[in-house]
Amino acid sequence: MATARRLRQSILKDAIRENVDVIERRLPRGLRRSDRWRRLLFRASVFVVVPLALFLSINALTTGRGERTDVLVVSSPSAAPAAPASVINPPNGLEPSLFHLEVRSVVIDPGHGGADPGATASGVAEKDVTLDVARRLRELLVAQKVAVSLTREGDTTLSLRDRVVLANSKKADLFVSIHVNSLPAVKEKRGVETYFLGTTTDPHVQRLALDENRASGYTMADFRRLLEGVLADSRQGESRKFAEAVQGGLVTSLRPVVPRLEDRGVRSAPFVVLIATEMPGILAEVSTVSNEDEARHLGDPGYRQQIARALSNGILAYAESRNHPPSKRS
Amino acid sequence: MSGKKDVLHVGIDLGTSRSAITGSNGVHHVVASYVGWPLDMVAKKVVKKSILFGAEALENRPMLDLHRPLERGLIKQGSAKDEEAVHELLKHLISLAGKKDGQSVHAVVGVPAEALRVSRLHLRGAVKGIADALLIVSEPFAVAFGMDALLHTMIIDIGAGTTDFCVMNGRYPTEDDQRTLTHAGDSIDEQLMALVKTKYPDGRFSIHMVREWKEKNSFVGNAPGPVIVRFPVKGKPADVEITAEMKKACESVVGPIAETMLDLLSKVEPEYQEKVQRNVVLAGGGSQMPGLAAELEKTLAELGGGRVRAVEDPVFAGSNGGLAIALDAPEGDWEPLSA
Repeated sequence: MATARRLRQSILKDAIRENVDVIERRLPRGLRRSDRWRRLLFRASVFVVVPLALFLSINALTTGRGERTDVLVVSSPSAAPAAPASVINPPNGLEPSLFHLEVRSVVIDPGHGGADPGATASGVAEKDVTLDVARRLRELLVAQKVAVSLTREGDTTLSLRDRVVLANSKKADLFVSIHVNSLPAVKEKRGVETYFLGTTTDPHVQRLALDENRASGYTMADFRRLLEGVLADSRQGESRKFAEAVQGGLVTSLRPVVPRLEDRGVRSAPFVVLIATEMPGILAEVSTVSNEDEARHLGDPGYRQQIARALSNGILAYAESRNHPPSKRS
Repeated sequence: MSGKKDVLHVGIDLGTSRSAITGSNGVHHVVASYVGWPLDMVAKKVVKKSILFGAEALENRPMLDLHRPLERGLIKQGSAKDEEAVHELLKHLISLAGKKDGQSVHAVVGVPAEALRVSRLHLRGAVKGIADALLIVSEPFAVAFGMDALLHTMIIDIGAGTTDFCVMNGRYPTEDDQRTLTHAGDSIDEQLMALVKTKYPDGRFSIHMVREWKEKNSFVGNAPGPVIVRFPVKGKPADVEITAEMKKACESVVGPIAETMLDLLSKVEPEYQEKVQRNVVLAGGGSQMPGLAAELEKTLAELGGGRVRAVEDPVFAGSNGGLAIALDAPEGDWEPLSA
């Protein structure tokens, strides 16, 4: 009897703790670091990492040595993409992670919506899946103290330009556009792929960009600046790393549910939402609706929750990597 | 005893189709989860209320802006009116519980597992100003707690929007211990509607009528008798037999439920799997479907047998469980849960 009572109390304590965590926007218990570990990290950052970062940056700036590979683009706050005039090339060795950059806010863009259903098959519309996954992703990220904005909250029609304006106005740290792929010519295929900004010669990716860039809201006058944006941002290492983390999260988390899930990899493509947004951004094709089995899965909220969790895992893994310096430097 | 005398503890089951409340003062009520506002001044004059709930809202639906704030196990977000409907529905339920002046309200709200995953923050916002402290749990967990079935038990809560599965392993359930399907009451209604429409293309009936037919006549396996319903065909009211359609629609959920049950069982630690097999509990409105427990037991026979039983009181099992949680929670623990 006493054991049963203790069991009830212990389970109840966990239920209460979970609710309190949500109220206080804390990480779920299993993901939280102990305070001791946190103190150690803080001391390490104060006494080791910051002086090291300062030394490296002064050294690199004064000697000018090293290749310049990672590119961060700082563009104007206007909706149209900026010319690549204000490109910051961090000197070699000056990883963003050295500065313990935190990811505090994310803009999630549920693809399509309203009059634009996106890809549809077996009664499943891309616009519904992307909105549902985005809402779930928001809950997961908010629970981890990340501020989240959605470009659309309901079934509304938005041009790509509107999405970009909204994302830039939020001055978020990251931008995630959620989409669902359709490959009607190869219905047996079901996979996930993640894009960062760049050029492409792959006909499949060109076709996809054509589809996803529909109703862009930009005019011919913006074309040159769009092109310049693609070329400048094609070197945007942060978006690539971000895409790799998200693709890793998708594959690792969804394979146990869909063993035959194809890892279609990280690719670059000239998606308008990625050109014009000012923060590191990716476009994730989280499913393939043209595959009947996958379409059936998409009707299951449990599966959509898995997709949201997979995206959340990828985003948090990327955030973690930017907030912690590499353990060894060559 | 003394610490609890100024507090009204309530357990609420916020469901897609029905919502129930059980209070520590012995009061319990159930209402259909509908909220409606009169469309204009004329409608307001006719219904004589500024807001209507449950069956009353449903009866007067032509004159109302009617909202069913939960759909497919989720709280509808993005529409201010649906969000307000959740708030008003919770407020209405608490008012039904007979709170005395000066009494605080400590509420435990059980929601479909999906709503808990997706809309937790939104729910907390919806209860602001109507309860002093709030604890949100998943519906199957509330049922398990109320039945004291916290060890080696699988709860299958068949609601309108979703069917929620939860394995109780002697700990607060994690994501791995739970599953959700949209094969539930509403999907049966949709299928039955389509089947009857195909058989009687000239028949006229609404989804609300179909829901009522299902609630009175659902079954799985052998029909207990012919299912005869009444609706206008070619404009003339007629008695129509829909036994085969009812069977097909109801059995459409059996496969996915059985499959998910087996999948979750395969994840239970091997030494406890047989115990869980023998302790499967059906809850929610769908639990009362004749023949369903027997059909699921047939599936368990593949694993060497098992026992599936339905809760005795599917309407209040969730809210009673919520009240049990509320009464068990130490008074001091409510403080950080203030709404």
